[in-house]
Amino acid sequence: MKKLLGLGMLTVAMTLAVGGQAVADDYPTKSIDMIVPFSAGGGNDTFVRALQPLLEEKLGEDLVIRNLAGGGGAVGMSRAVASKPDGYTFLAASNAMLTLEAMGNVAFSHDDFDFIAKVVEEPYVIAVGGDSQYANLKELVQAATSGTTLKVGVSGVGSSAHIAAVAMANRTDAKFNIIPYPGGSEAISAAMGGHVDAVVLGGAELRSALESGRLKALAMTYDQRSDSLPDVPTFQESGYDLTLTVWRGIAAPKGISDDVRQKWVEAIQQIIEDGSYADTAANLGTQLAPLYGDELDTFIEQSSEVMAEAAGDLAQ
Amino acid sequence: MQRDIGKPLFDLVLLVTSAAAFALSTTLRNVEIVGDLSASFFPKLISGLIFLLVIPCLIKDIREWRATGDGSPASQGAGSARNVAQWGLIIVLAAGYILIFEAFGYIPSTALFTFFCIIGLAVISGTWRQLSAMAQLKSVLLAAVFAVTLAVAVFYVFTELFEIPLPD
Amino acid sequence: MISSYLDGLEMVLQWGTLLAIAGGTLLGIVMGALPGLTSAMAVALLLPVTFGMPPVMGIGMMLGALCGAGASGSIPAILLNIPGTPSSVATTFDGFPMAQKGEAGRALGLAIVASFFGGVASMVILSLLAPPIAEFALRFGAAEYFSLSIFGLVIIASVAGKSLLKGLIAGLIGFFVSTIGTDPITGVDRFTFGQLSLLTGVNLLPVLIGLFAVAQVLKDAFEYDPHQRMQDSGHRIDIARPRFIETLRHWKAIVAGVASGSIVGPVPGAGGSIASLVAYDQTRRFSRSPEKFGTGHAPGIVSVESANNALLGGALIPTLALGIPGEAATAVLLGGLMIQGVTPGPLLFDGQSGTVYGIFVAYLVANVFMLLTMCLGIKLFIRVLMVPRKQLLAAILVFCFIGVYGVDGDVFNLFLMLGFGILGYFLNRYQFGTAPVILGLILGPIAESNLRRGLQAFEGDWTPFFTRPISVTFLVIAVGLLALTLWQNHRSNRRPQTASGNEA
Repeated sequence: MKKLLGLGMLTVAMTLAVGGQAVADDYPTKSIDMIVPFSAGGGNDTFVRALQPLLEEKLGEDLVIRNLAGGGGAVGMSRAVASKPDGYTFLAASNAMLTLEAMGNVAFSHDDFDFIAKVVEEPYVIAVGGDSQYANLKELVQAATSGTTLKVGVSGVGSSAHIAAVAMANRTDAKFNIIPYPGGSEAISAAMGGHVDAVVLGGAELRSALESGRLKALAMTYDQRSDSLPDVPTFQESGYDLTLTVWRGIAAPKGISDDVRQKWVEAIQQIIEDGSYADTAANLGTQLAPLYGDELDTFIEQSSEVMAEAAGDLAQ
Repeated sequence: MQRDIGKPLFDLVLLVTSAAAFALSTTLRNVEIVGDLSASFFPKLISGLIFLLVIPCLIKDIREWRATGDGSPASQGAGSARNVAQWGLIIVLAAGYILIFEAFGYIPSTALFTFFCIIGLAVISGTWRQLSAMAQLKSVLLAAVFAVTLAVAVFYVFTELFEIPLPD
Repeated sequence: MISSYLDGLEMVLQWGTLLAIAGGTLLGIVMGALPGLTSAMAVALLLPVTFGMPPVMGIGMMLGALCGAGASGSIPAILLNIPGTPSSVATTFDGFPMAQKGEAGRALGLAIVASFFGGVASMVILSLLAPPIAEFALRFGAAEYFSLSIFGLVIIASVAGKSLLKGLIAGLIGFFVSTIGTDPITGVDRFTFGQLSLLTGVNLLPVLIGLFAVAQVLKDAFEYDPHQRMQDSGHRIDIARPRFIETLRHWKAIVAGVASGSIVGPVPGAGGSIASLVAYDQTRRFSRSPEKFGTGHAPGIVSVESANNALLGGALIPTLALGIPGEAATAVLLGGLMIQGVTPGPLLFDGQSGTVYGIFVAYLVANVFMLLTMCLGIKLFIRVLMVPRKQLLAAILVFCFIGVYGVDGDVFNLFLMLGFGILGYFLNRYQFGTAPVILGLILGPIAESNLRRGLQAFEGDWTPFFTRPISVTFLVIAVGLLALTLWQNHRSNRRPQTASGNEA
């Protein structure tokens, strides 16, 4: 018993020792933790689980998905910040990080992470019921600027969709009565049932509702039209300066070695180039929008500023 | 009837806690939203209701306690020192288990917890004293084997088979 | 129609598909039987495995996991008084007392067969009535959700045990706990004391495991007496077998279970956790011998377990017909469907593809596998009770830790579990009961957020809560049931007196 116990201790000690060392060429040598800061079943979780077998194949080691849910992602992200940048802990990153930061709820910021890659993105979409009286964004804005208060459902108070809805209201001068629902599916069913006039949600969540015609999209927040929603105009083309995207990607705690980063970037690049993730991404209602290195850092900085500004609007 | 001072005491704890919760509820930040009842409405309502409903319970339980007062032996309801010790042992061990869970890793912490649970219960319940030295050694060994087997088996089934990560 | 089913059957009746469904069912059974590990977890684990498979095969595997987990939650509930999931809370009410009488095998036999019937019936309802039921679920706005939660809260009176007052207090404790975290409407922090893990509120799972499993272990530890062990090993293995005839004899309980699973189950975000409690409550209320419930009465087990598996079919209705998952497990399933390129929605049901019929048949097959596996395992499950007490207590706690830690990987939740374990111990000891706490915790947020959401949407107007037809119907039923309970309580309080008077 003591021997076995000792053996256990030894393994722990060895893991710690290895963890501290610089990463050798043969990285990875053991399974890699991927922290998903949400429960199983969310957009973030599905995104990573779909990527999991492909990454395992390219990296040659197991990817262990750890759902560290709680605090709207704050718990898992804090844990990621606190882990060693040894190349064996990564985070499934998304807008939620910037939202939490902008709302001032957490002790970390996006500067505490090294961003490896952005993989997919989707727009925020404002949608109304299939038989709604508003046929396009213009009619909706017109109604909402001339005395009618529109009931607009979003997923979760202080969520990125909530921030996006506030930003939409401010840019269009529309009067929204924003009603937070616990999640996207509750907001969608409220819109289908006519309990709210419109919803603001990520495109992926809305995908099946839009495809079945139960909801219709009036506008979305990309800077130009997208392949996944070709008929939906952007806010920009309707004359409102509003560009926001929901993005998902991979991040690591700050200070990761260049070798490891290179290995990951190559793996993700390969997955995107050989097309093995394309169908999955499209089926999930997202589109591939890979970004790495300096371009990615610039993108994160910009997104963070937009979020901070929009969150400021929310606080008013 | 059993005489258990814990019963009215527990009511009293609920009474004090609900009062404290009510006081805390009044300090919640208020955000004006058209038509909304405010964030503190329900906490105040619920803690207030608990406070009001506990009062009759407390009165009834105190009466019961005093009525059963003199005649019945006190130990019956509250349990003997041995019962309480067994109960406390589990709580202390579980708290310790949580504290070492991530620091020691799954297998050592689980094995230690299981081992001390089994031996601790044997010692407190008194079976331990009745055993010969040889039998004591044997039960320590058996408990150790059980503890380590359980910890190792559970660890491998969950991390390897189900891919549920546990601290290592 | 029939040819579509035959097409579906053809898709399912292939070795690979059958094997996948069987594997999924087995995993679901294991996960469901361990306290804390949920069907959502089982489906999520299978998700990456299903990518390479054809749609019906992958989806069948995930449905198998859902089905298995739905049924096996009854095993720890019956044997150890520990519900593995919120929906098996009500299984403990009669299952555990029956096991204590030495009839654990009978209780399991009833539970397995009832689960099977519930699952099959809900498959039939799903395939025939999904679109209209989904439309009905859409009519639930804030007012309707609020009234539904009030209707659910009345159940507290049924599960309160001896003292209605104390049951009510326990329910309110759960309600209060549910207000911890970020306020759902204004976003204000409530009672989080800077604890990140509390920002999104107190998790249901650690509370559930604490109040039931840990509290039960503490009780067993308190009462642990090594000298008693010889007497109580009277569990009879020979009576452990599936009980088709006996279950069928309680067909009314099955009907109540299937009805509440199919009607309450599809309401997104509210139905899953309470459908089985509603079934228990209704069966008891309209039984000729309500006083037998809670003492190991067969209809109690049958209604809950048939509701448990019927609500899976119920939860699949909005998931498949509208693309709206009701809770975590169906949310993961929806992710899986979409990765497979199957878009849920009304078109899925009109479509010529036949995939949806493949899904129905796969779900039916999953139920058959569940029945077979559970029947084979039943004599094995009972042996859990032969493990010596000391070792069993330690092992139960070890599994509780895995269940709570495995889902979110958050040590804070382990402390929460222990804290609620101690609270639950005292609540049980002083006759408050722990089931009302869970009801308060589940229904509290639905009541609060929807009342406030409704008032926000109606701009402060209260009348829609009383004028909207579905909303007012639930409110009237709730008031009626409450009155009925009070009357029944009043009557049963008088009856024992007269009865003892007769004896004297």
